[in-house]
Amino acid sequence: MDDIIQEDPFDRQLREAMPYIDDDGFTARVVRRLPPPRRPRQSLRAVILLGTTLLASVFGYVLSDHGRFIWVTIERLGTLPMLGLFALALVSGMLVTVLGLVAAIAKS
Amino acid sequence: MELTDADLVARVIVDDDQHAFGELVRRHQSSVRGLLRQLTRTDIGLADDLAQEAFLRAYRNIRRFRGEAKFSTWLYRIAYNCFREEARRRKELVGIDEAHWQSELDPQTADPALRHDLMHALSLLPLNERTAILLCCQNGLSHEEAARVLNIPLGTVKTNVLRGREKLKRALAAWEAS
Repeated sequence: MDDIIQEDPFDRQLREAMPYIDDDGFTARVVRRLPPPRRPRQSLRAVILLGTTLLASVFGYVLSDHGRFIWVTIERLGTLPMLGLFALALVSGMLVTVLGLVAAIAKS
Repeated sequence: MELTDADLVARVIVDDDQHAFGELVRRHQSSVRGLLRQLTRTDIGLADDLAQEAFLRAYRNIRRFRGEAKFSTWLYRIAYNCFREEARRRKELVGIDEAHWQSELDPQTADPALRHDLMHALSLLPLNERTAILLCCQNGLSHEEAARVLNIPLGTVKTNVLRGREKLKRALAAWEAS
């Protein structure tokens, strides 16, 4: 059972008797005295992401027979007809755009 | 849509958003300052200093706020602790102890101009009853919440509210009759 005695007219009278205290700069004074915000740790995050990417690239390069697959892929792409190459570029571009949009929406 | 207190607290914790904390201060400053003004028997300067300290302490410790209680309840507890510490500090410095605020003033010596003022009548109550009345009747806390704020047993809160209300009613009736 809720113990708040809200229906009692005396309590209502009490609540109404308490005047609202105007802010009068009180909030501004408190905010001015707050300790400075913590330094953003974006730089640390960037270093971790970049480091992980570099490490993964080196591993990939070594494990893939020194990147032989890249040259093979480029050679195969070179043999593709012009229309196929255009379609591939279009699909890749759309995929990157969609991923970018999703990231932007998630960030906001 | 207006953000809830919980949303604002989350922003302060995650982004260290001081604007969000400012909004929390703006929302609760009146009730916290009102509570402290009554606890300090309308010493406005002291009450506002304590309120400021309470909000700063809330900001520093906001990560400890688990959201189990309402933000206002948590804030009242901090404000009340600030008041208790100040009472102890004053006792050490100038010999004014909590009994000064704890004591019941004589209604006969009350300022006649304020005799019909409910707030003035409230300030005549002893501290424990005054605090219980302020939290439960004025600020709408349940008895359980008030017990958490004051860190006292639930039964004591109920008794203090009951006694305080009776005394207030008697004081007001006596003033009206005279």
